[in-house]
Amino acid sequence: MTINKNKVGTEMTIALTGRLDTTTAPLLEQELQNNLAGVESLIFDLQALEYISSAGLRVLLYAQKVMNRQGSMVVRNANDMIQEVFDITGFADILTIE
Amino acid sequence: MNVYFPLIVMALITAAVSAGLYLAEKKTAFGVWRPKTRQVLYGVIFGILSICGTEFGANAGGITMNESTAAPLCAGLIFGAPAGVISGLIGGVERYFATYWGAGYYGRYAGSISIMFAGVSGAAMRRFMFDDKKPAWYYGLAAGIIAEVVDMLLLLLTRTDNIREAFYTVELGTLPLALMNGLAVMLALFLVSVLGKARDGQNSGGSREGLVQTFQKWLLACVTCAFLATSIFTFWVEDGITDSQIENTLKLNISDVSRDILDASDENLLKVTREAAVLLQMTSKDISKVNSETLRRIRRYLHVAELDLVNDQGILTATTLDGAEGYDMASQEQSASFLKLLEGEQEMVQSYQPTGFDSSISRKYAGIALEGGGFLQVGYDAVQFQRDIADQAADATNNRHVGESGFIVICDENWKIVSDSSGHEGQDMKDLNTTGYRLDTESMPDFQVFRADIYGVPSRCMYMQTEGYIIMGVIPESEAVFTRNVSVYISIFMEVIIFTILFVLIYILIKYLIVDNIHRINQSLSQITEGDLEVKVNVRANEEFASLSDDINATVDVLKHYIDEAAARIDKELALAKAIQASALPSVFPPYPNRTEFDIWAGMRTAKEVGGDFYDFYMLGDEKLVFLIADVSGKGIPAAMFMMTAKTLIKSLAETGLPVEQVLTEANEQLCANNSAGMFVTVWMGILDLETGSLSFGNAGHNPPLLRRAEGTYEYLKSRPGLVLAGMEGIRYRKNEIRLEPGDMLYLYTDGVTEATDGQEELYGEERLNRYLNRLGSREPETICRAVLEDVDRFVGNAPQFDDITMLCLIYRGHGQEITVEAVTDNVKKVTEFVEARLEEAGCPFKVIAQLDVAIDEIFSNIVRYAYGDKSGEATVRIEINEKIPEAALTFMDNGSPFNPLEREDPDVTLSAGEREIGGLGIFLVKKTMDQMEYEYREGTNRLKIVKKW
Repeated sequence: MTINKNKVGTEMTIALTGRLDTTTAPLLEQELQNNLAGVESLIFDLQALEYISSAGLRVLLYAQKVMNRQGSMVVRNANDMIQEVFDITGFADILTIE
Repeated sequence: MNVYFPLIVMALITAAVSAGLYLAEKKTAFGVWRPKTRQVLYGVIFGILSICGTEFGANAGGITMNESTAAPLCAGLIFGAPAGVISGLIGGVERYFATYWGAGYYGRYAGSISIMFAGVSGAAMRRFMFDDKKPAWYYGLAAGIIAEVVDMLLLLLTRTDNIREAFYTVELGTLPLALMNGLAVMLALFLVSVLGKARDGQNSGGSREGLVQTFQKWLLACVTCAFLATSIFTFWVEDGITDSQIENTLKLNISDVSRDILDASDENLLKVTREAAVLLQMTSKDISKVNSETLRRIRRYLHVAELDLVNDQGILTATTLDGAEGYDMASQEQSASFLKLLEGEQEMVQSYQPTGFDSSISRKYAGIALEGGGFLQVGYDAVQFQRDIADQAADATNNRHVGESGFIVICDENWKIVSDSSGHEGQDMKDLNTTGYRLDTESMPDFQVFRADIYGVPSRCMYMQTEGYIIMGVIPESEAVFTRNVSVYISIFMEVIIFTILFVLIYILIKYLIVDNIHRINQSLSQITEGDLEVKVNVRANEEFASLSDDINATVDVLKHYIDEAAARIDKELALAKAIQASALPSVFPPYPNRTEFDIWAGMRTAKEVGGDFYDFYMLGDEKLVFLIADVSGKGIPAAMFMMTAKTLIKSLAETGLPVEQVLTEANEQLCANNSAGMFVTVWMGILDLETGSLSFGNAGHNPPLLRRAEGTYEYLKSRPGLVLAGMEGIRYRKNEIRLEPGDMLYLYTDGVTEATDGQEELYGEERLNRYLNRLGSREPETICRAVLEDVDRFVGNAPQFDDITMLCLIYRGHGQEITVEAVTDNVKKVTEFVEARLEEAGCPFKVIAQLDVAIDEIFSNIVRYAYGDKSGEATVRIEINEKIPEAALTFMDNGSPFNPLEREDPDVTLSAGEREIGGLGIFLVKKTMDQMEYEYREGTNRLKIVKKW
């Protein structure tokens, strides 16, 4: 998985490519822990993400919880499969999906 | 004998021509001529033969004998009715006109009629008595004789004007003609039947004679016996009648002559006696005073032998006989008869006989009563009265005939013939060399017929003695027997005709009333026994046959009813048996839809309702597949029952886990133990380890199956087969082992496939099967089996199926694929890649791959986290793809502590982000996206299986 961060002021866009799974989730979590401070608007662009496993969901939940305190978080361009996972797990209600 | 030579030649020619024409008809192109043409030709040929018979006769004893009836008879009996009639007409007409160029006028009508009769009767006999077939030779003999008898009888009837001449002809001609005629026809029939037998070979040899033949034979025998008996009786009676007639005629005639002589003699003596009485009364006034001397004088004067005077007391008072004075007339019978003269009788004469006084003297006496009592008796010697009546005696035979040509002869006491109608007077009768009168009056009684050759002619004679004469009647033997013979001949001829008519009538009656009807019934019956129960016997010629027909019909109806009932029952039972048998064979396909390691299809088509073939397959646990194909000897219910036994036995043995060779060995023992029917079964049986592809198989006398290696061709999987099961006790079966690789196919079949036969008796054969399978290549098992069956059907065409056709096809797809890695998080990628590769190969959609990837991620990470704790261990993931459904099954296996993720409670997915616990979400996600999920802990291994369809 590759993670592309683009921080403009307090807004940060993270574009994910590949798979967000057990192996890759810790990398994203690390990245967020290091860079989330001062961000008020967090945007996940999932256009190039193939799929997401529960480990990935865990990272997204972590990010959502942080952003609930300091701003807002949006998830964009989730493919069918990922959207289905969000629906099944109730994440669709937690996350702001555009 | 050589006078009969023409007859013999004609007989031989007739027989030879018959045989020749018969051969020609059977052997040459002549036989294919139109039947009508042939009949006319036969008629003409035999007509000509009949003419030859008329023209070339035998001449014996002044009469001409013609053998003209044999040819028309032969034509009619051997070659057919029209031929017989034609030849009879030709022969008959020619005989009528033949008188103009020399044939005897005498038998003109008799001859022509009898020839026509022969032709027509031969034709009729063939048509009405012998069913238009040649009769046996003895009928020929009879027919030939009868035809000639008719000829002779006609001759007698047409020549009543001179019966004697006609009879002469008949007497002379009957025997040789009847014999020759009969022999000619008999010989012809005999030759023809010998030729026919030689041609037909053994065809006619073994056949039993029919009712008609038996009947004909016995009837002929009976009629012949009756005829012979009647003939003998007739002869005997006629002979007796003739004898008594002859005797009467002779007696009558000689008595007549005797009376004539006696009358003359009596008259003469009386005249003399009256004269003596006158003389006596003239010489003596007182009769009582007359003495013997006076009497002697008168005697001398009258030339008599004796004079006696008897007084009214019957005592001889005077006599010329010395010493007879005082003789009492009453003392002797001869003299006592004269006492009538004392009782009023005036005269009486006695015949010439020994005297009562002295029996050594024979005298003829006459007496006359005298006035004043007593009587005078005059005695005459033979010489004296013969001298007196010689003229009368000589005249007695004149103009006297005894019968037609018999005569009377009279001789005196010295055997000198005094009267003879044929002019032998004066001859000595005892001159035997000339006359032939063998007469001895001492030993031969009078009035009795005796035989003698009178003047060389055999004759019957009878004699009597009168007044010292011997009167003899003679009738020639020929005349004596003539009447008898005429009677006998006519009687016998009539008998021949009557018995023939009787024979024919009885025969025809029996034939039409009984035999033909029996034949008709038999025909219907044989149709019935051939299986056509719809045939009705319908012979209603008379009450008996009508009732027989009704009875047979009723029996057949009852039988039909039973057969229908039985057939319906059997049909039902067979259908039931078929259903049971079908239900015994696995028939749901695919049988194991969840198994990806193999695919199997099998089918059976029975030849009869139920068959002896079977197939079977079943799983032994999860990892082993048993499959087998078998063929029980025989067909039908017994084979099906044996099949059930064998199938159940093998299955129960296999399910105990015995290796294949022991299953077969044990099954053989048990089948042998209870095999009273002597049946057996061939089996090819395999046990496939689905895990490893290892196939162990045993063969009990079955056709080897065909094995196709992946990417290869079908080859026969040869192995040394053991004996058939239930063949012999104590057989040890061998185990064979091969390893199947994924994609390998196995095709099992029974000999119903390879021994399917087409219309030309050609077998489908192993080579054709092999070729056809190779053309099919790798297909689904069901496709393979159905294609082979279709090909077999095409090959067989409309020929019936003789044997069960059974086949089983198995494809081994391999036991999925698996990857074993160390249970560390980093290895999830290896697993994912391994699985993805398989899924992509199977054409799985991207989304499903992604879902499965997620599942792998979740489950594998679970194993990493929980299975081994701090220790390290391995995890195995197996993938099985079933493209038919299609679906993919993933099994995760680890040897860690037992852990069932399915038991965990699902997380509450409605909570807000702040309240959310992240654990348990992965398994929940898997549960939600997969179609099936199973957990099992077995043999120290956690097994979690997920299935995803697409």
